[in-house]
Amino acid sequence: MSQNGIRTNLKQLIVTTLNLDGLTPERIADDEPLFGSGLGLDSVDALELVVALEKEYGISIASHEVDRSVFGSLASLAGFVERRLAESKPQAADGQ
Amino acid sequence: MGGAAVTGIGVVGSFGCGVGALAEALRTSRPVLSEVDRSAGYHLPESARRAALVGTADLTAWVPAASARRMSPPSKLAVAAARMAVADAGGIGEADLTEVVLATAFGPASFTERLLRGILDEGPETASPFLFTECVANAPAAQVAIACQARGPNITVTQREAGPLLALARAAADVSAGKVARALAGAVDESPPIVHALLDRYGALSRPGADGGEVARPFDRRRSGFFMGEGATIIVVEDEAAARTRGARVRCRVRAWGSGFDPSASRVSWGRGDAALARAARHMLERASLAPRDIDLVVSGASGSVAGDRLEAETLRTLWEGAPLPPVLAPKSVTGEYGGAHLAAAVLATTGAEFGPTAGYEILDPALRVAPHAGGPLPSPRHVLVTGLAGGGAGAWIVLERA
Amino acid sequence: MASEARDRRAVITGLGAVSAFGWGVDALRDGLRSGRTAIGPFQRFDHTRHRTHVAGEVPEGPPPDFARGPRWRRLSLADRFAVFAAREALAQAGLEGPLHERAAGVFFASSTGGMLESERYFTQLVRAGARPPLGLMSSQQINGPGDAVARDLRVTGPVQTLSSACASGALALEAALAAIRAGEVEIAVAGGSDSLCEITYSGFNALRAVDEAPCRPFREGRAGMSIGEGAGVLVLESVDHARGRGATPLAELRGSGASCDASHMTAPHPEGAGAALALTRAFTDAHLEPDGVDFINAHGTGTPLNDAAEFAAFRAALGDRASQVPLTSTKGVVGHLLGSSGAIEAVATVIGLRDREVHPTPGGGRVDPAIGARLVLDVPEAVPDARTAVSTSLAFGGSNVALVLARWD
Repeated sequence: MSQNGIRTNLKQLIVTTLNLDGLTPERIADDEPLFGSGLGLDSVDALELVVALEKEYGISIASHEVDRSVFGSLASLAGFVERRLAESKPQAADGQ
Repeated sequence: MGGAAVTGIGVVGSFGCGVGALAEALRTSRPVLSEVDRSAGYHLPESARRAALVGTADLTAWVPAASARRMSPPSKLAVAAARMAVADAGGIGEADLTEVVLATAFGPASFTERLLRGILDEGPETASPFLFTECVANAPAAQVAIACQARGPNITVTQREAGPLLALARAAADVSAGKVARALAGAVDESPPIVHALLDRYGALSRPGADGGEVARPFDRRRSGFFMGEGATIIVVEDEAAARTRGARVRCRVRAWGSGFDPSASRVSWGRGDAALARAARHMLERASLAPRDIDLVVSGASGSVAGDRLEAETLRTLWEGAPLPPVLAPKSVTGEYGGAHLAAAVLATTGAEFGPTAGYEILDPALRVAPHAGGPLPSPRHVLVTGLAGGGAGAWIVLERA
Repeated sequence: MASEARDRRAVITGLGAVSAFGWGVDALRDGLRSGRTAIGPFQRFDHTRHRTHVAGEVPEGPPPDFARGPRWRRLSLADRFAVFAAREALAQAGLEGPLHERAAGVFFASSTGGMLESERYFTQLVRAGARPPLGLMSSQQINGPGDAVARDLRVTGPVQTLSSACASGALALEAALAAIRAGEVEIAVAGGSDSLCEITYSGFNALRAVDEAPCRPFREGRAGMSIGEGAGVLVLESVDHARGRGATPLAELRGSGASCDASHMTAPHPEGAGAALALTRAFTDAHLEPDGVDFINAHGTGTPLNDAAEFAAFRAALGDRASQVPLTSTKGVVGHLLGSSGAIEAVATVIGLRDREVHPTPGGGRVDPAIGARLVLDVPEAVPDARTAVSTSLAFGGSNVALVLARWD
């Protein structure tokens, strides 16, 4: 999936998963803070998003990875997902 | 005892939003019932089909979408009712001394079901943090505290049909003792299909095929079960002197409260322990220097339940020791069981509201010998006895006093 | 004291417990003193796909000499813990036999009641799509364990179950205290019970709040809580009633205080403001100066946030002394018993007062230097002059309770 595709997909996932009715995905800026200010999400939102990300992309996210450097903005989150997908590809090819 | 005044009511149910909507439903004796969604397959083919559901009531005026996005249905109902109650009371003061006491029979059952379903179908590793944080029984009380910034004690009572009275009793006790300045007390329950289906499997609900049909018939010879009700009720209780000082309207006083238990009950149903329960009720009256002859009106928790109404009738007659009972109201055939509207109805009765003929009641049950209110004027009551007997054995009573 | 004045202080005359150390207070006491953790592998349900694999699981029981009675088979596990612990407490109190002739009530707590059995019912309902035996659901209600105790003891006085997550057990004790002071009862059977179940185990894991290893409250690098199961029950009586029948109190429930953070559904107020308010109210209610606290049985779940916020509350309520008062966390030994945690921790606190010892909170690593608690580490700490202790319970949803317990002699 292209970088742009992941970002678009993530924005939709955030809106749907976190019940942000009334927010169109396009309005989430790539570099806007997701937590605290900006979108104003909190720790429980982060964890809900983690469950959704694991299901959506078939990746695993460790507890210590649920932090600001990964979840700080949409751009950082997209980067994390891309890297995790790239890491898990060879295993998928092994038929796991 | 004394000193605990009711200054506000908020209520949401099948009858609509607010105490005015409830009063109208009680005056016209019209239950508002909806078809329960049976598509999930939990229901038996012969099951009850209708319940007193909140439906698509628009609560956004009371619970803005932004704060509601993570709330379970009962949390939304409770917050809406709490805000209504606070508005009705003309606001509440200092937050640190505001207590929240809510009762619930089943808690946030729809979220619990979804969480369990997810665990079963997709595995525990996919469990939703949202659902989990909101499926604890005290989630509605916690949300009410956040919405109203109530930083006093926060208590959730889980005692089924006695719960709302125990919650109001706790609030009145704490306000009377000066432990808190005011309390938001009440109840909330939702009726997702799974709860409705399970209550029906237990034979608790009236069914379409019954003699007397799918109708809740309190004390009636043909009664065959109650209507499941959902909704929330919050009552503002505050120190009466303080309420009058701030110019609040005092609807009534919470004069006495008490509770007991019938150990002959099975885990889910009602027993035959009227003697023990009547003794507990009499003890409550005596401690308040009252006797049954001081009670002008009974707002009964009778709902159309076969065993529940029988125990209620037996307990009332034992308490009155053969003397004639005062008028008996049974509002649950309009409001449904659960959700606490019964408490709001009792406050309305204490302030002289008009009640129509008891919905669903037609034929006296000779074994019970209780004929509930048939419509028409009621004496303006000085003392109202509110009753709530729970499946499983607990029983609770409240005496409201005209202010 | 005027001759008519009644002594409505509440004393504790009996204790009962079921924990991962076994069925009974003796097992709990020996285990708490041992410096071992009871948290480890468990079989209550298949946890292969859960994130963690340890808990404080109660071993098989009750002991063969326990008189189960005809209804035992139909009781849920949480009901059984409750009934056993209640009978143990009443036996110690010398109040055997049914309570229907006495002014006695039951003030109980649970967070999930018979949920373990309900999960089994629900699984059958969903998979088989037919009519699984309703008996599995009959104890589903959160009021199941409390009602089971009331039924077993044939109580006819007040009976209620409270369910405010982790504060439930302490709130039940508070309700019992209020009922005795108000003269509504002379005897209160107060406590809580919860069993392990999948919904809470996966739920706390979904919040990433559970340590893969047994929890290490207040220690550096602590990584979350451990879930446990069991029951704690205390028999409370008015002093008048206890004296009247020649019973010797074990301790006094001197006071309680409660509050609500009203800030967030899961995270505690970072400065522990609500918890500090509960402590202050408890001290006022108990007529206790903060200097009078001799040891602390903390809520101490072992999550990074809770322990830090909780200790901030102790600092606010106790001042500089907070770092000098011996502190322990029973959750660090038997796990977090959720609805019954406040009750079993009150039992542990009474044991500590009577033995004049604070049980250790085992675990590797040093005490978190950012917190500076005087955590009792691996062996019991003798507190020969201790008279008064405080036990805190800080719940999910922000409900906070502090109990003040004291020696009676």
